[in-house]
Amino acid sequence: MERLAARWLWFVEHWPRAAVFAPFVPLLLSWWAVAEIEIFPPAFFPHPLEVLRRGVELAYKGVLGAYLEDSVLRLAVGAAAGIAVGLPLGLLVGLSDRAHRTLWPLLLFFQAIGDIAWLPILLVWFGFGLTTMTFVIVYTVMFPVLMNTALGVRAVPEVLPRAALSLGASRARVILEVVVPGALPNIVTGIRNGLGFGWRALVAAEIIVGTSGIGFMMFDARRAGSVTEVVIGLVVLGVLWSIVDSWILAPLERATGERWGLVAR
Amino acid sequence: MKELLVERLSKIYFDPDRGERIAALEEVSLRIAPGEFVAVVGPSGCGKSTLLNLIAGFLEPTSGRILLDGRPVRGPGPDRGVVFQSYALFPWKTVLENVAFGPRMRGLPKAECHAKAMRYLELVGLAHVAHRYPRELSGGMQQRVGVVRALANEPEILLMDEPFAAVDAQTRMTLQEELARIYEERRPTILFVTHDVNEAVFLADRVLLLSKGRLREEIPVPIARPRRWPRLVEDDDFKALVARTLSAVRAA
Repeated sequence: MERLAARWLWFVEHWPRAAVFAPFVPLLLSWWAVAEIEIFPPAFFPHPLEVLRRGVELAYKGVLGAYLEDSVLRLAVGAAAGIAVGLPLGLLVGLSDRAHRTLWPLLLFFQAIGDIAWLPILLVWFGFGLTTMTFVIVYTVMFPVLMNTALGVRAVPEVLPRAALSLGASRARVILEVVVPGALPNIVTGIRNGLGFGWRALVAAEIIVGTSGIGFMMFDARRAGSVTEVVIGLVVLGVLWSIVDSWILAPLERATGERWGLVAR
Repeated sequence: MKELLVERLSKIYFDPDRGERIAALEEVSLRIAPGEFVAVVGPSGCGKSTLLNLIAGFLEPTSGRILLDGRPVRGPGPDRGVVFQSYALFPWKTVLENVAFGPRMRGLPKAECHAKAMRYLELVGLAHVAHRYPRELSGGMQQRVGVVRALANEPEILLMDEPFAAVDAQTRMTLQEELARIYEERRPTILFVTHDVNEAVFLADRVLLLSKGRLREEIPVPIARPRRWPRLVEDDDFKALVARTLSAVRAA
């Protein structure tokens, strides 16, 4: 046990990002223990080794990879579109008092309608397909990006655009050189939240609409009565998001915040 | 450097809470000659910052006009360089990029902008921090950058809004001497707003006293340059002028 701990410390020291996994060790051990003493029948509560075996098998067959690729691609396309719409709209709402007055109540209204709540009517309009799923993701990603961008723009200290104008910058240059960089920490936060919500919305959409993807795989497995595959889906969703968030998005958010002097080190 | 003319300038706000009109500035007229250093003093709320913001073009006057070199001022522009109390450096740009910002916005080639920024940083002994970010610098150093950023853009007049109010007393005296030295060498036109009477008399050729939105008094400062603190703290003329200005401020 002592040697194991020493190993772990060595590992973390040489590869600090692995520390993210430390809290999962007790969780995994308790899962193992509960499965081992078979309080619940294995068909209801699969053993971690069984999940691992089946997971490797699915990965080997290429099913897992293909479904994962479908899901991630959908998220990427939807998120890109959501950011492309949300960012300029957020700038507009943040910069113009008139746009803020007219759009803000509408934004609050539509933000309150959860992504999934749109599914019934989207299914009527677009049917069970990619359009419906993309709409849900774009919608989900757009709002956090938009709201946070607007917030960030309004949080830029008034003296900064003033200084830029007094140094001869045009309005367009002020937006490009001062407003966008000034709002960047908030924009990154918006993208981080948007992707997080989008990832969840995607899985929900895949469960209801899907023909492929991780969400579809889980729901399909339930129909076939394979709890193991449902659990594989859960693990994949969690692991993938943890990695994306803690290795890419969170450091990005911290880096901008620090650089901008908004976060004390 | 050109002449600044302010004619019967007023700024009236409507206070919706009290339902009445408040005059931040009332019928203020002044003239600043090319190469002149003018300080405006007064208690907080006297309208001195409003005056500076109007000249900078950040605010619209209710009535009156501002002429720089005979041309009416409309909105902010590079002919009036501004130094802010809170420095207003761009935190995501290096010191060099901050100072090069003005020349770059005016279309100079990048290499030329950087060379120019470097020359101005050398002027205040900050060439060695050119590639640092503002937050890595002390307050005094940040404001030095603020001053040379405005200077590097070669404005016709420099507007300084309590620029040294946020630094410690020791650094403030150093910065005041540095500004006096830069002024003595280059003779830019400067309008300097402060509530510190010592500072105003130390730096300016002329001190204007503002109170409750009106110009109350004008005090010439016929003290020889170069001005440095060790000499002036002993100087009877300086002490008498400070005493006179101080009593005028307190009476206003």
